[in-house]
Amino acid sequence: MPYDTLIALIPLLPILGFAFTALFGRRLQLRLGRAAAEIVPVGIVIAVWVIAMIVVVPALQHQAPFGTEGLDVKSWTWIPAGGLSVDMGFHVDALTACLLIVVTTIGMLVHIYSIGYMAHDKATWRFFAYLNLFMVSMLVLVLADNWLLVFAGWELVGLSSYSLIGFWYERRSAALAAKKAFIVNRVGDVGFALGIMAIFLNTGTLNIQASLKMLVDQGSSNTVPLTVVALLVFAGAMGKSAQFPLHVWLPDAMEGPTPVSALIHAATMVNAGVYLVARANPLFASAQDAMVVVAAIGIFTAFMAATIAFTQTDIKRVLAFSTLSQLGYMFAALGVGAFSAAIFHLMSHGFFKGLLFLDSGSVIHSVHDEQDMNRMGGLWRKIPITHATMLVGTIAIAGIPPLAGFFSKDEILGEAFKNGFTWVWGIGVVVAVMTAFYMWRLMGKTFYGESRVDPAVAPKVHESAWQMTLPLVLLAIPSIFLGMAIGLPLGNGLLVQWLSPVFEHAEQILARPAAAETLLGLPTDVVLISISVIAALAGLIVGLYLFGWGSRKVKQQTVDAVSSANGTSRFLYRLSLNKWWFDELNDLLFIRIGGRVAAFLWWFDRTIVDGTVNGVGYAVRDAGNGLRQIQTGRVQNYALGIAIGLIVMAGSFLLIVGQPR
Amino acid sequence: MLSALNLISQNLDAYLVLSGILFAIGTFGFLARRNAISMLMSIELMLNAVNLAFISFGAFSYNGDARHAAQASTIALIVIASAAAEATVGLAIVIAIYRNKKTPLVDEYDAMSQ
Repeated sequence: MPYDTLIALIPLLPILGFAFTALFGRRLQLRLGRAAAEIVPVGIVIAVWVIAMIVVVPALQHQAPFGTEGLDVKSWTWIPAGGLSVDMGFHVDALTACLLIVVTTIGMLVHIYSIGYMAHDKATWRFFAYLNLFMVSMLVLVLADNWLLVFAGWELVGLSSYSLIGFWYERRSAALAAKKAFIVNRVGDVGFALGIMAIFLNTGTLNIQASLKMLVDQGSSNTVPLTVVALLVFAGAMGKSAQFPLHVWLPDAMEGPTPVSALIHAATMVNAGVYLVARANPLFASAQDAMVVVAAIGIFTAFMAATIAFTQTDIKRVLAFSTLSQLGYMFAALGVGAFSAAIFHLMSHGFFKGLLFLDSGSVIHSVHDEQDMNRMGGLWRKIPITHATMLVGTIAIAGIPPLAGFFSKDEILGEAFKNGFTWVWGIGVVVAVMTAFYMWRLMGKTFYGESRVDPAVAPKVHESAWQMTLPLVLLAIPSIFLGMAIGLPLGNGLLVQWLSPVFEHAEQILARPAAAETLLGLPTDVVLISISVIAALAGLIVGLYLFGWGSRKVKQQTVDAVSSANGTSRFLYRLSLNKWWFDELNDLLFIRIGGRVAAFLWWFDRTIVDGTVNGVGYAVRDAGNGLRQIQTGRVQNYALGIAIGLIVMAGSFLLIVGQPR
Repeated sequence: MLSALNLISQNLDAYLVLSGILFAIGTFGFLARRNAISMLMSIELMLNAVNLAFISFGAFSYNGDARHAAQASTIALIVIASAAAEATVGLAIVIAIYRNKKTPLVDEYDAMSQ
């Protein structure tokens, strides 16, 4: 089949799967059992994965018909409206291909995993329908060739994420978390929508490639300055990718089923923001001020989220904050102009974080829906596959060579240093230490040491079904090998070669001078890598020392001693435990103060605005009522009026115009 | 016959004052009387007061032109004709209302307020 058809099939199949499952899933599940309802959505996602792989391979290698520019697929003109013409079209280049790999692979594995994870749920069919809808949204977002279609996918992602977070809607906390995610995302989306309007205002087209080219060519003669456009687009990315200060929705989104956390809140949806900024790379490269903002917000989010992850005890929340932190790394990479490194980290993070989340789901499943790490421990013997794969994920995220996370994280830090952003590099190294520490804390508390599992549950702890462990093993493979496969040789790996045409334009605009070859008498790369590795190992050692094997009581005393040593450390402990009081701050700003303002505005609207409108009505009505009184219907009263009028007229005529001669 | 004519005032003001008095009486009657028939009569009085004023002006402004003299009389004749028509219609309305209301008193007639 020609590539046009294949590419169109990628989003089309999940739409059909969603429609079919939504319409017939319930009946199928009731009459023929779960498997009947699951086979269509899962089968379709596997088919999509196969198709995507067929498309991805030539696209990454720049073969015909993709070439270096990518392949445009025009389906039909979606909105023909005078000066505005929007095509329903897709654009596939190496960047799209990278995202396709992550989205379809993890999407497929999560679908398979969900068969096992949701085996006890009443409405499995609904879950799979939502999952397929999410796949559609994400694929449209990634494939779209114009901003409007990206925005449509963007909003669809928000919608399906809302449905999935609130999947267990009987639980009030889940319903509230879904609402929170939706609303916080809307804040960013307003920025993105304004950004798209600004782009249209500047260029008169919504096609991504054409508009980016025009924006850069027009330079400072754009109607809306490029910095403003870039920051508006970045606002949208901040919402979806949960960057400070719009990060508050992601930890709460863990109320959803764990496969959702893995698919949406680790591997795909949150990457949309990174993808967006990477896609708009020439725009950001022409707006250097905006890039500094991106880097600053990214690295700050990375640091803040890492500090919060120190003290959380809910296993999924630790991973959620770790996701925030890693996304912060990606934005820092985008901000320093290391676009390839950001996409590299996006891919490797997608795999190992998806793996970690699915592992945490497997752990939660095995200890009967317990998420508190203080009630786990010593599980490594009982659930060996989960433990082994989670160990892989942890080593990968901690940045210990030669697993995937090391290569991508090191590339980000190295590029930051070489591009002159030493502050980003410095904070990044600190965050690397912290990442290794909290991940080993998670491992220690969950798998090692004495068991603190509820004694009633402890004998029943068991490894999960094969539908759940298979995806774990399959995700562990790229978590181990992805970095070596596409990251070597350092700085000029396979991925860089794939992506270089996409980011060529931005690189030309930035025109960075080559970094110094040596540092402290050694090659720069060697120094930087050594520092990264030392950082990762330092975090590992402290984490294992405090939370690894040995008597839990002694360890706990050490931890308590550190966290309550003096006023400062107590404050830091509470800062971390309470997530920097962001929820409280938002409550104060938007619920209390904002609520007061809204109440005042409501009062103003009711009293002043409505009062004016209603007042006019009342005045006319009352005036009419008053005047009605003199309409007696009696001829003589009217005649009296006529007579008086006549006298007044004649009299005033005589007085004003003149005396009778 | 001529002596009788001489008894008639040669002063225009006298006629106009008489006309004004008649008009005022008519107005007062129209406003004050409650009986519909009386009000119609008051209207006739006002119309005739106006007629008197026209005729007087016509007579006193005679300048030898026969057509000019005829103008005032013409207006008066038109007024008389329309007064007759008005009286006919007015009486017809009054009788029609009287049949409904069983009263000739106009302050009972308030159908126009509805």
